[in-house]
Parts: sequence; structure tokens; C-alpha cells
Amino acid sequence: MENMTLNLRIWRQASDSDSGELVDYTVRNVSPDMSFLEVLDVVNDDIVKSGNEPVAYDYDCREGICGSCSLVINGVAHGPREATTACQLFMRHFSDGDTITVEPWRAKAFPVVKDLVVDRSAFDRIQAAGGYVSFDTGGACDANEILVPKEAADAAMDAAACIGCGACVAACKNASAELFVGAKVTQFALLPQGQGERDRRVLAMVEQMQEEGFGPCSNEGECQAVCPKEISVAHIQTLHREYTRASMRRIFGAG
Amino acid sequence: MSAVATFLTSTIGRKVLMALTGILLILFLVTHLAANLLILVDAEAYNAYSHALISNPLIYIAEAGLIALFVAHFASGILIYAQGRAARPSSYKDDRWAGGTSKKSFSSSTMILSGAFFLLFVPLHVWGFKFGTYYDAGNGIRDLHRLVVEEFQNPLLVAFYVVGMAILGLHMWHAFGSAFESLGVTQRDTLRRTGNVIAVVLAGGFMIIPLAIFFLGGGQ
Amino acid sequence: MTLENKVPEGPIESKWQQHKFNMSLVAPSNRRKYDIIVVGTGLAGASAAASLGEMGYNVAALTILDSPRRAHSIAAQGGINAAKNYKNDGDSVQRLFFDTVKGGDYRSREANVYRLAEVSVDIIDQCAAQGVPFAREYGGTLANRSFGGAQVSRTFYARGQTGQQLLLGAYSSLMRQVDRGQVKLFSRREMLDLVIADGAARGIIARNLVTGELERYAAHTVLLCTGGYGNVYYLSTNAGNSNVTAAWRCAKRGAYMANPCYVQIHPTCIPQSDEFQAKLTLMSESLRNDGRVWVPAQKGDSRPPQQIPESERDYFLERKYPSFGNLVPRDVASRNAKAVCDDGRGVGATGRAVYLDFSDAIERFGAKVIAERYGNLFQMYERITGTDVYTEKAMQIYPAVHYVMGGLWVDYNLMSNLPGLHVLGEANFSDHGANRLGASALMQGLADGYFVAPYTVADYLANAKLDPVDTDHPAFDEAERDTTARVDKLLAINGSKTVLEFHRDLGKIMWNKVGMSRTEAGLKEALGEVRTLRDEFWRDVKVVGKAADFNKELERAGRVADFLEFAEMLILDALHRKESCGGHFREESQTDEGEAQRDDQNYSYVAAWEFQGEGKEPTLHKEPLSFDFAQVKQRSYK
Repeated sequence: MENMTLNLRIWRQASDSDSGELVDYTVRNVSPDMSFLEVLDVVNDDIVKSGNEPVAYDYDCREGICGSCSLVINGVAHGPREATTACQLFMRHFSDGDTITVEPWRAKAFPVVKDLVVDRSAFDRIQAAGGYVSFDTGGACDANEILVPKEAADAAMDAAACIGCGACVAACKNASAELFVGAKVTQFALLPQGQGERDRRVLAMVEQMQEEGFGPCSNEGECQAVCPKEISVAHIQTLHREYTRASMRRIFGAG
Repeated sequence: MSAVATFLTSTIGRKVLMALTGILLILFLVTHLAANLLILVDAEAYNAYSHALISNPLIYIAEAGLIALFVAHFASGILIYAQGRAARPSSYKDDRWAGGTSKKSFSSSTMILSGAFFLLFVPLHVWGFKFGTYYDAGNGIRDLHRLVVEEFQNPLLVAFYVVGMAILGLHMWHAFGSAFESLGVTQRDTLRRTGNVIAVVLAGGFMIIPLAIFFLGGGQ
Repeated sequence: MTLENKVPEGPIESKWQQHKFNMSLVAPSNRRKYDIIVVGTGLAGASAAASLGEMGYNVAALTILDSPRRAHSIAAQGGINAAKNYKNDGDSVQRLFFDTVKGGDYRSREANVYRLAEVSVDIIDQCAAQGVPFAREYGGTLANRSFGGAQVSRTFYARGQTGQQLLLGAYSSLMRQVDRGQVKLFSRREMLDLVIADGAARGIIARNLVTGELERYAAHTVLLCTGGYGNVYYLSTNAGNSNVTAAWRCAKRGAYMANPCYVQIHPTCIPQSDEFQAKLTLMSESLRNDGRVWVPAQKGDSRPPQQIPESERDYFLERKYPSFGNLVPRDVASRNAKAVCDDGRGVGATGRAVYLDFSDAIERFGAKVIAERYGNLFQMYERITGTDVYTEKAMQIYPAVHYVMGGLWVDYNLMSNLPGLHVLGEANFSDHGANRLGASALMQGLADGYFVAPYTVADYLANAKLDPVDTDHPAFDEAERDTTARVDKLLAINGSKTVLEFHRDLGKIMWNKVGMSRTEAGLKEALGEVRTLRDEFWRDVKVVGKAADFNKELERAGRVADFLEFAEMLILDALHRKESCGGHFREESQTDEGEAQRDDQNYSYVAAWEFQGEGKEPTLHKEPLSFDFAQVKQRSYK
């Protein structure tokens, strides 16, 4: 494959209180083996040399696991390839002459910090509200005393694979965080370690989720389609069951 | 806030309420369609059925229940829509669908509009038939069949009903599967296929009545 | 200053137990009077902050990233070792201890390693209780695998995402303390200086990366958990934001940097494809359990791998090391890959790669089993290279900088020579000697954070006579002034070369001359080149934007500036250590068979370097190593 020339239309926004706009950049000599973020690096190097401020974007591990990537590429969170974060999106999936639009996650709960960088601390606060097993260091029994059937462990791992990138929120027309919350709730609902505070957990996490301003689930499943870890919307359905049951138990005094 | 109120005002609680009311409304529509198809089969039987229905004193409770379902369904729909808009105040300049496993469709993207249409449709429908001209079929039985046949001689009304039922189908295309998913049922693909069949059957079934009357005459 | 390692007396099996008993405690009701700063929220930082918060201390946790959950511990794939002996295959604390000391090529502190092996079993219990979804057997017990050269199955794992799951476990405990108010979380903060007041570490200066403001944090002790400095090589498997700045600023305030030349090169990474590449990606070492490493026997054989018949392949690791084969330790595997490529038998577009072949494994176990074991890794490989391993049957791999054994010097209590500065995880030098075994980094990070620091930090707080120090102390003024001056200086240069270009140039010098194989001449050249590059940097770097803003260029400029200073210390350490050991291979010191040749007579010590000022030679302090319990041998994996 030959090297390409691409036209990037990148969202520039000084801060959350400023209005932003798409700005055009042409980048030449893009190798098909470059990752999308490496293309942004090249764009930035050019911008810096011209004395202007480079495009701010979040990155860290560049191997698809830290969840820093937060780019909507051509209208789809993390871009066109399934099960792929933006850092793992390689340019061989684009063609010479393509125009590529790059925007930040858009959600009320994820305010823009600068350009393509958004504030996702709402996820941390949801986690703080209940995404854990209340257990202090040091008091554990031997690990093999808590038996977890392989099927349960595997299913919990499917849910736990979430990288907290927020693409689910970005893709949802209602900016719903239910895939993120559902995955965490499911993980602990499946494991014996999480049973003691199962109701309390889901009630607290959902409450925090609402307080942060995330919207209701649309049941469209855009979230699953863009999720780089292919977290299933079945976790949202589990969340609905868990939340409804916990609420009923609270209403009828059983919880 | 009480535990009940907390649940009902939560994003999930609202979806559950919308799902439950939606499913009951679908059940209503299924019986409504089954009964209405009698129009095309036997006028007397149809009139007898509607007489039995309205002469039962429980009808007032049933009607009140139906109105409550409608109101609750509309209200939760509007609240959910508003919440969604508030959560996503700005849209993408380049806004596309993800494709792949997503079930996003024209139907799912227009739920609020297709739903809102029935705020117009239902009152007109009730006004046109329930409170329409009273023809006596004898023995104190209303000849509702005659009214229906007369009304559907009007091509504008037929068109209105056909379009209305197409919109019903559009709404139902997403609604059925979505409702069960909101209630926590995970068999997504099966639900979606079933929902699509129900959408076609309901919309098609209801459409047949005005079309058959208009083009083929009113039956007996 | 003399280096007191504070290793307790007594037999190695009881040192830690006895020491725990001898240490002072802080009563629960008094803990709230103590403030603790934890810098970094990877495995070491998150576990320490959570545990100290649970105990009742006031903890401030800082992370350079937008969330603690993104720390680079998350990228560890393979697993975590523990001497549980669940497989009944002869494992024990004693054996894990010995394997680690041997794997580290007898350059680690024995007592620390024993303690690490000892608490390894508690880590698994702890993480299981947190709900970490470890791989399980059908009966519900924990599954294990053998990993990276170990002859017992002692590695616990969660698919290929063990680091992620352990970090999320620690993160969830941390967030629980945030919810309780015991830990205050400060994200997008970068530590830029250590504040020493009245002879003890009492705070830090951090930059708020969103607003650009400098912030002061005061406390009774500082825990540095900021990871390793692998990015001094520019290309490494480390994350883009991993850096040496926090550790280096401590070094500049007087903390000794120990064994900086011990750098681990990981054998199974995806080869570099072009100049613009920003990072190298590691493929878990677990692949070597089933994959066979080979190159064509003939130079210049450019046929696709599956067209090269068995007889024309050289399975060089199996050939040279019949008993360990493809599972030799990382340094041995890496050097051998380099050797065959230097010999002209490397494969791929650049000739700097070897094959890791799965045809035998797929034939033996079937594609389904192999997909279960390595599916996510094959997927990752396909995504990056565009090659499908199931059809191609082989991947191309090449070594890359992965982990650093060196770090700030700490005593047995994980405290540096600066009172009150504790250093945990990869940021310290303590447990891995000259080479780290696979699946031991996660173990060490969590050991330090969950099971060592909570005791030793309490002991320090109970005994240190600390006057009240708040952020108005003159030491804070001074540190902030220094930091501001440095930031202003970077912004004022307005030269012509970007930070990225300087970093790439530094990386090339380091990789070519201070990489897998080092010579005196090469190191001396590197030293000169790094000094020249540093001068050029301060003359000609272009840093755009403002100080009081979200400014990634400025962040990176500060980090590259520190790498340029730190690199010199690393090279000097490599230059002075004329032996080969573990990850440090000096071509002058090898056996007739080309293996690393240690010189126990002259180099059995920890080299702790004291910074003496910019442009001045650092002073070397030696902590002698003695091996009273592990028998010292020349490593052999034949």
C-alpha cells in the first residue's frame, strides 16, 4: 500500500466555556502502518513548527487497554473498525485523499477540557459510589476458599474487560452510561464476593449515574457496536433487572 | 423521596414504566385488531361484540385504565426524551450510525415523533367512532358497523388511517424488543425479530380494514 | 552519607515477621493526624493509598492521568506470581525466593526478595477477595500457568489482562476510600518537585495539568509510586505518559538513584515499522509457552515462513538451551534474537525480527484451544500488523525496552536515603536485581502497596519527630520558585526543533549504544552525544503555548529535559559496571559461549548514585550485597 495524503477536520475548542469549530489540516506521507494517534502526532509536529498550539488529545498506553482514547472519528466513537480503540486504528483502513472528521466525546457529563480532551471523572465518581467489594486489606481468607465456577468467572471477566473509555456514552444519542455501569454491576453480581452489598451497590451507582447527568438507555445498542472490548448490552439488561429488584426490595422492605 | 418515587423517577424506572405500559398497550392493540377484523367478516357479530363491550359496567374502569396507560406511556416517553436531550446537548458535526451489532434504525430514531403522532391520532379516532353518529341496529344495539363503513368511504380518512397505521408499525418496530430489553430480557435478536413481525401484523391488520372497505365495499 | 539498608537480623524466614513485630504502630485514633501523599496510582500507588486510607490516615493521591484506572500497570498481560503451590508441583516461598534471586542474576537484596516471595501468597488472597475475576478451573479453584521460564505453575492470571484486573481491583478499593473521604483524589496532576523541610520529605509541588497552576501539597511523608523510566529510550512498551520526572526531581533533591543501567528488554514485542512509531507493543510472554522461536538457517532467506521447511529453520533457543528452550529468561531470549538478526538472519521488512511460530501448537491442541489461550493477543497482533496469525501460523517479534529494574534506592522499609520519602513499585530498585522474572512486576507493586508500606510507613510516622509543616513553609516557596523558573525557561527558548524530535534523537542514542548489548566505547560515545543533545535542547527546543493552560507540549518538554539529564546517569552506571549481569550486557564480559559473565568479586553491590549538580559527575555509593541464604551460581539455562 502506498503512502497517503489525508485531509483531517479536527475539532478545536479552547475550553468548555468556549465554542469550538472544525479546522482543516492536510497531512502528507501517511504510512498505512501508522496508527491514528501517530497521524495526530505528525499533524501536531507540523503545527508546533509553525508556532501554533497543537491539538490536545488524551493518550497513554497506545495498546488499547488504558481507555484514554476519546476520539469520534468520522462520526463513530473510536472510528470505523469494530472492537478497536483509536490508538489501535491503523491507517491501512483509510484511503488516499480521504477526509476524516475528528471530534471529542460529546456528553453533558463529559465536559470538554480542550480540543479533543474531555473530563471523564464522572466515571470515577460512579465507581466510588459502589463499584467495589467492601473489603479492607489484610483480612482475606485463602483464595481457594471462595470457589467461583469457571462459567461465572468467565462471564465476570467478560464484564470486567471494560476499559472505562466512555465510547458507550459518546455513541449514545442519550449519552447514557448504562453499559459502563451495567458491566461493573454485572461483574460483582456474578461473583460470590460481591453478594453482600449487591442491592446497595446498584442503587448507589445508578443514583450517581443520574446525578452526573447521563441519560436513559435508548436500547439501540450503539454502545455495544462501538465498544472496543465488545461489552454486550446484555449487561444493561442485567443492570435493569438488578436495579428493579433492588428497588422492589427497598420498596417492600425486604432489602 | 420515597423508595417508590425514587424508582419511578430514575432513568431505569422510567424505562421500566414505559416498557410495562407499552406492552399492555400492545396487548390492547392485539385484542382491538382481532375484534375489528370482525368488521370485514360479519356486521352483526361485530355490533354484538361492541355492544357487549360498552354495556358492561366494567367498561368505565377499563377505559380509565386505558387512558392511564396512554398518559403514563406518553409522559414517561416525553420525560425520557427530555432527559436524553439534556444529557447530550450538542451533537456531532459528522454524525453517523455505528453499524455492526447496533439496532439503531429509522424507527428507533423517531420514537418520540411517531409516539407524538398518536397524541393527535387517538383523540380523532375516538371522536370519529366512539362519539360519532349513532345508528340504531335494533334491540338497543348500536350499528357501529354502518358508521365504520360510511366513514371509510371518504378517501381522505382512509389515507389518514393508512398513514396512521404505518406510523404505528414504525413505532412498534423498535418498541416491542426495546420494551422487553428495558425489563431485563436478554434474548435480543429473538425479541427484535418478534417485534418486527408484530409491527407488520398490527400495522398491516389495521390498514386492511379501511382499505378493504374503501376498495371492496363494507361486507354484510 | 552511608547507605544503611536496615535489613533486620535473624534467619531469612523470620526477618519480616520479626521486623513487623519490632516496628512501632500508630494507634487507630491517631492516624487521622497524619497526612500522606501518594504520587502515582498504578498497582503500587493505588494499593498503598487504599490500604493507608482504610487504616485511617489522610491520604492525597495524585495521578498524571485523568483517572487512576489508566495507570500503565493496566497493560500488563501475562500474570502474577505467587508461591501458593496450588498445583502441588513443588513450589514454595523458598523456591520463589530462590528463582527471583537467580533470575535477578544475584544483584538484588536477598532479604527484600524473601519478603516479596513471602507476601506473594497474601496478594492472591487479597485480590480474590476484591472480586478480581481470576481464571478458574471448572471446580471453581484458581487456575495457574507456568510463565517466563519458571519450572512450576505459579502464575495467576485473568485472561491476557491480568494487570488490568489487578489494577481495577486496587482502583476500586481506592475509590471506596475516596467515597469515604479518607483519600482525596487529584487527577491530571504532575509532581514536579519534592519539598524537603527540616531534613525530611514533607511535600511536593505538582502542576495542575488542566489549568497549569502549580499546587503545593504538604504531608508527613511522601510515597513515590511513579513507575519506571523506560521511555528514556523513546520507543518502549511503556505508556506515552510514563516518565522519570518525579523520581528524577527527587534525585536532584538528594535521593540516590540505584542501578539505573538495569533495563529489561522484553523479547516478544511487535517489531518497529517506521520512523513515526510512537510506541512498541508487547505481546505477552505467555506466547512463548506454545510458540517456538526461529529464524531461517540461511541468510537472506525471504520466503514466507510456512514455505520454509523444518530442516531449513533454526530454532535457536531450543538448540542452545535444550532444557529451558523457548522459556529462557527475558534477557537471554532478547540477546539471542539480536544475535541472529546481527548475523543477517532476521526476518520481516527491516530484518530486525524473528518468528514466533504456532504451527505445532495449533496442530497439537487445535485452533480453538489456541484461540482460547491467546485469542486476544492474536487479535491485537492482527490489528497492529494486519497479519492473521491463524492463517500465517507465525508472528514476527523483536525485543523492546519494557521494564526497568533500577530506580530510587530504598532501604528494607522502602524508604529512600531522604527521610520520609518512600518509593514503591517499579520506581524503586529493590527486588529484581539485574533482571526481573515474568509475572513478578505485578507481584512487587502490590506487595509494596498492600503489605509492606502500610507497616513501614506507620513505623516511620510513629518514630519520626516531625514538626508541623504547612504549605507556607519557606521550603515550599523555594521549590515552587525553582519549578516556575524551569517552566519559564522552557517556554522562553523558542527554538526550531520540537520536543518529539529531541526525544526521538535521545531514544536512538540510547537504543543503539545503551541497549541490549553495551561496550565501553559505545557508552562513552553515547555519553558525549547525550550531553551534546542536552545542550542543543536547552538552546533550540521549541515549546509552544502558555504555562497557565492545558499544555501537553510543555508537559512533554519537562519530561524530555529530565530524561536528558537522567540518561547521563544511566550511561555512567552502565560504564562503571564492567561486568555483565541480567539486563546489563557488556560485550567485554561474556563467557566463551557468549553468555553474560558476572564479576562477583568486584561488582556484587548496589550502585547508588548521588546527584551533584547539573553537568557534574554524580557520586557513587555502594551497598554491598551478601548472599547468606541463596547460593550464588553462574546462571545457566542449558
